Amino acid sequence: MTRAILLLLAGTALAWPQDLADVLKQGEQVFAKSCATGYCHGVRGGPGGAPRLVGRHFDQTYISNVVTRGVPDTGMPSFAARLSRPELVAVVAYVATLNGIASPNVGPGGAASMLSSRPTLTGEAARGARLFMDAVRGFGRCSTCHEVGEIGTSVATPIAKVPPSAVELKALATPDVKTGTIDGESMPVLLLSEGKQGTVFYDLTSVPPVQRNVEPGSVKFTDRSNWRHSSVIQAYDDSELAAILTYLKAAIKL
Amino acid sequence: MMVSMRFSLFLFTISSALAQDAGATRADWPHYGGTHFSWRYSALDQINTANVKAITPVWMFQTGDYADNLQATPIVVDGVMYLITARARVFALDAATGREIWRYQYPDPPRSVPGFVGNRGVAVGDGKVFFGTKDDSMVALDQRSGRLLWRVNLDDARQCGCNITAAPLVVKDKVIVGGTGGDGAHRGYITALNTKNGRLAWRWYVIPGPGEKGHETWKGDSWIFGGGSPWLTGSFDPGLNLVYWGTGNAAADFYDGDRVAAGADKSKDVNLYTASVVALDADTGKLRWHYQEVPDDLWDYDSAYEVLLIDREFRGRMRQALVHMNKSGLTSVLDRGTGEFLGSFSVPEVRNWISGVTEDGKLVGRNEPKLGQTISICPSAAGAKSWNSMAYSPRTGFLYVPANEICNDITPNNRGPEEGRNYMNAEFPVKLPAGRTTYSHVDAWDPVTGKRAWSMPYKYLLLASMLATAGDLVFTGNPEGEFFALDAKTGNKLWRYQTGAGNRGSAVSYAVNGRQYIATPTGWHVSVVGAMAQSLFPDQDWRLGSTLVVFALPENSR
Repeated sequence: MTRAILLLLAGTALAWPQDLADVLKQGEQVFAKSCATGYCHGVRGGPGGAPRLVGRHFDQTYISNVVTRGVPDTGMPSFAARLSRPELVAVVAYVATLNGIASPNVGPGGAASMLSSRPTLTGEAARGARLFMDAVRGFGRCSTCHEVGEIGTSVATPIAKVPPSAVELKALATPDVKTGTIDGESMPVLLLSEGKQGTVFYDLTSVPPVQRNVEPGSVKFTDRSNWRHSSVIQAYDDSELAAILTYLKAAIKL
Repeated sequence: MMVSMRFSLFLFTISSALAQDAGATRADWPHYGGTHFSWRYSALDQINTANVKAITPVWMFQTGDYADNLQATPIVVDGVMYLITARARVFALDAATGREIWRYQYPDPPRSVPGFVGNRGVAVGDGKVFFGTKDDSMVALDQRSGRLLWRVNLDDARQCGCNITAAPLVVKDKVIVGGTGGDGAHRGYITALNTKNGRLAWRWYVIPGPGEKGHETWKGDSWIFGGGSPWLTGSFDPGLNLVYWGTGNAAADFYDGDRVAAGADKSKDVNLYTASVVALDADTGKLRWHYQEVPDDLWDYDSAYEVLLIDREFRGRMRQALVHMNKSGLTSVLDRGTGEFLGSFSVPEVRNWISGVTEDGKLVGRNEPKLGQTISICPSAAGAKSWNSMAYSPRTGFLYVPANEICNDITPNNRGPEEGRNYMNAEFPVKLPAGRTTYSHVDAWDPVTGKRAWSMPYKYLLLASMLATAGDLVFTGNPEGEFFALDAKTGNKLWRYQTGAGNRGSAVSYAVNGRQYIATPTGWHVSVVGAMAQSLFPDQDWRLGSTLVVFALPENSR
């Protein structure tokens, strides 16, 4: 990871290409860690759980496209958000060498230039990011209902304004939450759509929220609700909430 | 149930007949494993050893989804079949004709969602059809119309590296499901939702958190990413109100330096509750008992496979037992009320990961991968058996097991975890064991004596589930596309049919208007163990597809 950050600095502040051998060595390491994982591609691109990659006459643009976009309807995901830019460049170059391309392009403007990068967070924001999606907190984590930085479920609309403090976060007004009544049972809801096919809403009674699709007209809404945002963030203390707010401010700017 | 148990002490045949009632399917095939007892056994005997030669295809259904294997177990209720494909396209079909009644297509998750494309079945109950998805949603459809009723997201695949590929299990008013991801840095769990409204009923984490019993079996913070994902479908005993599930291996798979304290006693209970069979209270999800089959697993030997609930006499005493195979092929027989060890047997013919097992089930002579070395281990991480289920016939008393003979060369490493990313910590290319010409076999095992009654060898690998019937037949298929019937008593092949594509699904039997049907999913694909198998036999070209083929006796011959 440290090495990846150093390479990121090298790639932005200094200049590509750096030593090709170093890039290929890193590519081999990324491949071993992220691609040759037993149930996926084989060791050094040999046969495994996913197709062989060695000696397939792939060109570098093709490899770059597949790595960054994935292959639809297969186990091959897009790695665009899963690897850093230098890792992507390195692994594409490495796979190119498996296909007879002795000197793959690793510089700006080459096949690597289309690669997106993953934002790097540090300090309090990084801590906040970890807390936001902290799996140890189960359904009590923020990402149960919010999607930020391609992590989480977008139950709530995207966060546009970040409260200045934990106190204000706890007092957050949630005018979108209504009361829905169906079959005599009332529940806090977020209405998504009302149409001829049905009414779609989130039931916020418990976490995780459940997206319901009911017959048109079978649910009645009133504008008020007893639901409070403070009731679903109890897995965090004030210091943790402050770190999360720092993260959100940084993430929204990115 | 208890009454039959008491009688059984005096009259084995009666209790045996009653036990048959509990585990056998009849006209319907209501659950993934047939019944909640997971025998994959049908009491129908219209098709039997005398007439199986006459069965013929009566209808086929092409799903049109060729993204991966058709692996699902079809569910049949009241003459309607519910079938799901790899990409979560769900069909309701007239089970007598194949006519489509409704279909539902789950939106394809974005390409940034990692994981393999695949789905092993729906569950049906409370007037709904339930299934899990690649992007970790649980979905409920209206059973009559296919209309979406509710959907709830249980995790973020982009973070956890986990997916839902298993069929859910409906237990009373809950639908229960596990997930994948235990070969990555992830903490596995089983989740139960209320069938009515999708609200969370309970969640049980395989790895105990701080302050919970069993947490002390993990070194430092390793419990957070310790794996254990229960990626298949469990069983349920309504009399005991217990749900049984098998859990996945500990992560990192092949290196334990970060999760096991140096000098730990590996004779029992290391890295709980990975590689274990667990009994959970069906209402609360609370752990009642556990049995760890591989303490400190170092070979990627999951215990995630099916749990068969059988009542048999052991050492003169009738027992409510369960049978469960670990991926190593080591198969445990336990008292399902208490978890007491009753016996075990090992299925693969080529084995070197241990030298043996003591009478009380302890592993002897562990042959562990070590940093800086490459060792050849049999069976491989692909399993002495893969996820495809065994079957049990109460008529013969045998378990019918599809077993594979593969080894792998394990070179471990000590890379640290990154959440949701691969955390196997080894290269482990598979290879065929030397000195053999056949690499798999269908076996009949007696769970009481632990002896193999017969074995039918096969050249390649067997990756389709078994179906046993009261016609004393055992059905399964092979990668070459042949679907076949064996005599349950002898293993003799009585019938075969070339379906045209590799078999990797789970056949079922059911009846509509008094006619018995045998239905099998067909269609190979090159993902995960399927591709490992293919890499072992590079001259083979097992054909892709996604077709359900349904057989019956001709109308005029019944």
